[in-house]
Amino acid sequence: MGIDVRGLRIHYPDRDRPAIDGLTESIGDGETVVVTGPSGCGKSTLCRAIAGFIPELIPARVDGELVVGGASVWETDSARIAQQVGYIQQDPDAQICTLRVEREVAFGPENLCLPLEEVVGRVDESLAAVGIDHLRHRETTDLSGGEKQRLAIASILAMRPRVLLLDEPTANLDPDGAKTLFGLLTRLRDERAMTLVIVEHRIRPLLEMGPRLLVLDRGRLVRRHSRERVDPRDMGLRSSGAEPGTTVLAKDRLLSIDGLTFGYDAPLLRKLTVDVRRGEILGVIGPNGSGKTTLLRLIAGLETPAAGRIERPGVGSVGFVFQHPHHQIFERTVSGELAIDGGQQRPGEFERWLAEGRLDGLGGVPPLSLSLGEQRRLTLLTALRRGPELLLLDEPFIGQDRRNVDWIVSQIREHCARGGAVVLVSHDIPLVGALAHRILYLDRVPRFGAPPDVFAELRAEGRTAFLPGFWESDG
Amino acid sequence: MSEQRRTGDRGLRAATPAANLVLLGGLVGVVLASPSLVIRLAALGSVLLLAGRSGVPIGSFLRSLRFVLVFAAILFIAQALSIREGVPLIERLVRITDVGLRSGAGMALRFLVILSSSFLFVHVVDPDRLAATLIRGGVPYRYGYLLILSLRFVPFFQRELRVVREAQRVRGLRTSVRSLKAIRGAIRYTFVPVLVSGLMRVDSIALSMKGRCFGVHRTRTAPRRERFGAADGAALGCVGLLVGLAVFAGRGGWT
Repeated sequence: MGIDVRGLRIHYPDRDRPAIDGLTESIGDGETVVVTGPSGCGKSTLCRAIAGFIPELIPARVDGELVVGGASVWETDSARIAQQVGYIQQDPDAQICTLRVEREVAFGPENLCLPLEEVVGRVDESLAAVGIDHLRHRETTDLSGGEKQRLAIASILAMRPRVLLLDEPTANLDPDGAKTLFGLLTRLRDERAMTLVIVEHRIRPLLEMGPRLLVLDRGRLVRRHSRERVDPRDMGLRSSGAEPGTTVLAKDRLLSIDGLTFGYDAPLLRKLTVDVRRGEILGVIGPNGSGKTTLLRLIAGLETPAAGRIERPGVGSVGFVFQHPHHQIFERTVSGELAIDGGQQRPGEFERWLAEGRLDGLGGVPPLSLSLGEQRRLTLLTALRRGPELLLLDEPFIGQDRRNVDWIVSQIREHCARGGAVVLVSHDIPLVGALAHRILYLDRVPRFGAPPDVFAELRAEGRTAFLPGFWESDG
Repeated sequence: MSEQRRTGDRGLRAATPAANLVLLGGLVGVVLASPSLVIRLAALGSVLLLAGRSGVPIGSFLRSLRFVLVFAAILFIAQALSIREGVPLIERLVRITDVGLRSGAGMALRFLVILSSSFLFVHVVDPDRLAATLIRGGVPYRYGYLLILSLRFVPFFQRELRVVREAQRVRGLRTSVRSLKAIRGAIRYTFVPVLVSGLMRVDSIALSMKGRCFGVHRTRTAPRRERFGAADGAALGCVGLLVGLAVFAGRGGWT
């Protein structure tokens, strides 16, 4: 089923400029297209429009033509579109409506009033297609991130769509999970001749699928290229300035972890011994559920170790930037947010901070109305404003475009140059590989050392998805 | 489909939601209608026995009831101290009579049975199966799914509240309820971020439901009707036995 877009313009009522501004493009039946571009460039809006959510469910002024399978989206009943177009959102957990895996997959076909035998058949088929048949009786809340992603895909496949839209499907997956997902999508496309539209920042592994690449910026199509002609700038190298650190590390330790053991229901971290020195960036990588965020929580004192010690000699305060910025935003204005910790402000200090975070002129704006990238910059600024020596960052690059990533990288480097240290948890392996002085790979057998040594060990074990080369440009 | 019993389910978990509803109604009806302490004790014993037979660990079941137990104890003490009629058993400092003790025990037992049977119902009944039963019983399916969605949001809000409290700790923010200003601050610092998360989640789920045609038709495919089995027979038998005992106790004048 093909998609035709002619002069598409979508303008949300509360925005100054259109989210999509005069887009024209054709996507062929059975084609795979990857849409990329900076935050707020209109990628998700395009998907939501194709899925028929705009303007029916999400109010916006629309102009131009959007035709899916020969029928105009504006004139087609949303129920009919839903049977042809499946939309999988960025956070799979946020789209699960029921409490059990099997019920979730049956949810769509049941809404179509299909005979029970057909519903059962579609459930069996969809669970098998994504390889989670063994999970059918499990509670949806007990699934891992990767399992939830597969469940989201299975529940959409049960509607038998001809077009599959995936909005940053790897954002919450570890590298192994992302690699498996790309394999699954390739198989689905080949077996079912589905049209795939994938919004993604990490392009390199998707090239195996032979997609066309569309690059959007400010709602406009700025570049389009086939697999053979992909511009390295668009390949997911989000921080071209992130070269491996060459700083000689100081000897004094800001963090010392010795024999740390911790777990919730089952052991998670076992006898972990790590140290972080002044000026160091420690990169923490590993599969989903290996204890990366838990380690940050332990360092921040939000959890108590079952055994072992965590010492922060001489560290006055710790800054902790959570994965989702809205959890750390409390005040009514951006300025209020910066002033929340009290203390005297020198004249012009706010302005300087706002300028530093590229938030000029936004001091009086409600922080929750900012874009995700702006919210992320604000939470990092508020953490830095307290002058912590040790900075803990949990997945700071998720959903961030190159410009924001570059800004975050510059703040990390400046913090370390001032004598601080950073513990950075991220699934962005190339960035961690380029930034970190040492890497901690958390899994059943943790690895700790200089990036080349850790990556060499992972390569020897065949963990290719955790190697920078898997995600980086080969051009 | 999951409306069918799952392998390994036992006791009331293996019974249909309809049988569990009848059992809950029966237990509540018996303790409200019968004045007999023996019957109320038997009802409480049945709840604990059924919890154990259904694979609910008694320790954790009682722990989840700790506030109920404390409140039942307060009810008992308050009744025992406030009723003056009857034969006095203690008269120094306070007056406690046999009528007061009986009344206190009766009220506490009634409270315990109603609450513990409701807790047991929540423990053993799968909400998906309950919603399917209600829908089959004539409840519009949109309301049936309201129940499931509400339960889907419980762990979400618990997790969000924990994360926001941790975010406050990390920022060095302290919330208190000692003054109006402090309460206002606590509301803003706690409920606003949780509310924002909730609204974002509602948006996503609405898109997800719409994208799968929820609400398009007046009806939807009903899952397979569950067959009554031995567990249903046992649950209904338990209700019948308690009702029979209560009738017998009423005629025999048991107290």
